[in-house]
Amino acid sequence: MDNQEVVFTLNEELVRVYADPAESLLTVLRDKLGLFGTKVGCGRGECGACTVLLDDQPVNSCLIPFGKVEGRRIETIENLSRGEEYHPIQKAFVEKGAVQCGFCSPGMIMSAHALLKTNPQPSLQEIKTAISGNLCRCTGYKQIEEAIASAAEKKSRR
Amino acid sequence: MPKDLETLTREKKVETDFQSSEVWAKVAGKAVYGIDLILPGMLYGKILRSPHPHARIKSIDTSAAESISGVRTVITAENFSCKPYGIVVDDELPLACGRVRYIGDEVAAVAAVDWKTAEEAAKAIKVEYEVLPSVFKPEEALAEGSPQLHEDFPGNVAWQRDLERGDADAAFGDADLVVESAFSIPAIHAAYLEPIACVAVNDNYTGLTLHTALQSPDSVRTIVAKVLEMPLSRVRVVGPVMGGGFGGKVYGNLNLYIISSMLAIKTGSPVKMLLTREEEFIAGRPMIAAEIKLKMALCRDGTILARESDIITDNGAYSAQAPWVSKTISERNDSVYRIPNIKTRVRLVYTNKVPTGQYRSYGNQAANFATESLIDMAAKKLGIDPLQLRLLNCTRKGDLTVHGLQIKSCALADCLQAAADEIGWEKKIRGRGYGLSAAIHANGSIVFDKNFRGASALARLELDGRVTIFTGEQDYGQGAHTAFTIIAARALGLPPGLVTIQSRDTLISPFSLGALAMRQTTIGGRAVQLAAEKLREKIEITAVEAGSESTGLREGAVNGSSANLIDLAALARYYHGKTSGLNLVGEGKYVPEESDYDESGYGNISVTYSFAAHAAEVEIDRTTGELTLHRIVAVHDSGRIINLLSAIGQVYGGVTQGLGMSCYEGYLFEAGRVANSTFADYKIPTSLDVPVIDYQFVERGDPEGPYGSKGLGEIVMVPVLGAIANAVADAAGDWVTDLPITAEKIYQLMAGWECE
Repeated sequence: MDNQEVVFTLNEELVRVYADPAESLLTVLRDKLGLFGTKVGCGRGECGACTVLLDDQPVNSCLIPFGKVEGRRIETIENLSRGEEYHPIQKAFVEKGAVQCGFCSPGMIMSAHALLKTNPQPSLQEIKTAISGNLCRCTGYKQIEEAIASAAEKKSRR
Repeated sequence: MPKDLETLTREKKVETDFQSSEVWAKVAGKAVYGIDLILPGMLYGKILRSPHPHARIKSIDTSAAESISGVRTVITAENFSCKPYGIVVDDELPLACGRVRYIGDEVAAVAAVDWKTAEEAAKAIKVEYEVLPSVFKPEEALAEGSPQLHEDFPGNVAWQRDLERGDADAAFGDADLVVESAFSIPAIHAAYLEPIACVAVNDNYTGLTLHTALQSPDSVRTIVAKVLEMPLSRVRVVGPVMGGGFGGKVYGNLNLYIISSMLAIKTGSPVKMLLTREEEFIAGRPMIAAEIKLKMALCRDGTILARESDIITDNGAYSAQAPWVSKTISERNDSVYRIPNIKTRVRLVYTNKVPTGQYRSYGNQAANFATESLIDMAAKKLGIDPLQLRLLNCTRKGDLTVHGLQIKSCALADCLQAAADEIGWEKKIRGRGYGLSAAIHANGSIVFDKNFRGASALARLELDGRVTIFTGEQDYGQGAHTAFTIIAARALGLPPGLVTIQSRDTLISPFSLGALAMRQTTIGGRAVQLAAEKLREKIEITAVEAGSESTGLREGAVNGSSANLIDLAALARYYHGKTSGLNLVGEGKYVPEESDYDESGYGNISVTYSFAAHAAEVEIDRTTGELTLHRIVAVHDSGRIINLLSAIGQVYGGVTQGLGMSCYEGYLFEAGRVANSTFADYKIPTSLDVPVIDYQFVERGDPEGPYGSKGLGEIVMVPVLGAIANAVADAAGDWVTDLPITAEKIYQLMAGWECE
């Protein structure tokens, strides 16, 4: 399809992007906008490495046609830290050893971020369910679950 | 738990240990992986693959592809010599020379200005094939008159080995009990989350640079240089961050690197290539499938007298590391117990399917499923408790095993007892199944190359007082570099934050065998320790020379006896000025003793050995056969643990991979075509599939490893398979002998159905 202008909110900024509306949101984020934090593990919505938030909901950006984001809010991993200032979920991931190769981490953190937005004190089962669409081959998920629980706990204590 | 064990086993409390700074880039989404690389003027490469499992190429017409706007070059076998290359045996070609041998075989490749044009051009290449008869099952490939895959390997046998130690036949004659069974293990993909990607750059000034993340960059560049007939010093590998490896990226995908290099040479532009997830499954290098026939002779009291095995491994079309994996499958488990007589036959057989390579632990985990199931089968027949049977026979410190392995440290018996105690061996819950399994894994191979057994490292004092360690050993999240940082910091008496590890550029790092055979911490770490100690010595000498009597390093300074602290940066600048530009450097080389390894494969193959025992607790739904895993207990003897946080991460991750291989994973084929080439169909464990995992480390230390440590990264997945298989058998009354252990197979077993 021909490129067209799509206006949407990206990481709290209003942006206008000319791109093929049939392209995936993932391709536009990476190849047009240079946001490489969102990873590609399968391109078929099966691994969760490309998870971003669409109006606060976690989605596989490889499955979202770019034209569909018109007027909506997109949040990517790049919005969670500013320089050396990291989001509590990111800090917890580092502290709890939740990162090995790190390839699933951005998608995993975005799923956790979406969970804690709507459910600030999730149970372990709720955490497991929230990240069940994010494959990780390195960690066995345990330290990731601990990290998310710890970030939730720290948030609630403040 | 025995008293002494209690004191030696770490508390389960996790301290926040030192973490390398790279981890922050990873959580911020700033870490640059192979798939993220972009270089100015970069082209994109795509491979045309064979649609046939076996065919003669009659003609290739590239003219239509070449005429597409944006296509920069198209290459075929004509761009290479048709001389096969290989890691162990020479049977592979970068692009097919007149014949394809599996669905996915590389036929031609294009470089174009973007992915879409490259894909379109690859499709526009016209290939005429004459379809040949195919063979998909190893036993059929071995039969007389079956299609032959390689002229150089008659009978379709890529590699084989017949081995006898002691007198197995006599032992079987004397035995009170002989147990036997056959086991089947499918091909398994390492399934790292980042598919393999690379960018090749070639210029007349610096030569060829491959930007790709590898576990063994020096081994890969050696092969690439040989195939492209380039001097070794003209081939450099620079590594981005690696998105998982698990053995699958030791050599990665050699054809991809060679093809992208040739495209870069032909076009004079950087060329990026990657495997899609589907290509990973159909043309990657999964670990070989194995058919294992096992027989074991025992005395009435449970003493194991002999073991005989007949193993056929399914090579697919080309070999990669499959001969080494076949060898490990056929013998490593023989050293878990004191088995005096061994008779083994192993054959690696070509079929028209995806070529194979290796996966975490080199097939030791596949063999564990078979050998540990057979141990429990024997225990059941003898009426002996499976724990007691294992304790009676298990290898102990000071042993020389049947294959000549020298066991300098071993807490296997303690691991077994601790795993049994923790799972509740003496207080089993009714209706649940319990299983045990034991494992050994070589830790720092010294026989890959008998003339290159160890590792070296450099420690350099920077002008700002920090220390850089140069090593060729790789970290991809398993924690090797964090361990190196801690080891170097300990040797130098510096805080870990002042130490940086540099390993990702073969131009500046010492040549290394890389991350394989659990050699990182034990061999690589020891070299780092020696380099750091050497630097410390030099710093102390220079400090005396510079006018301070020094006794040691503390917090970035040399501790003078007069309590005068010397700033390390000042010392570095002093030496720099005095030598007109040199840095203080410590060189460390760790060269393990030469091995007595002989032509029969007898001898000590490794600097030391790690041990483990796992226990599983399961429950089976008697109506559906559905398996619930309640808990895995993983007890490890990996010597003294250097970094507890990452050690625990290795256990959790390795156990989960073991669980995936036990219950979910495995290639499926339909007439040579991979039937499950997506994550939807090839299922790896999700967060909802992982049971409770409890870990314990029995820290007895080791005389070889740095600070008494031993390797952990591979052995973590080995005993899981036997433990789950035995727990399922305990609950179901019999063993599922072909992986994966699915509800359907358990149901059929309990219903007494004949499985296909």
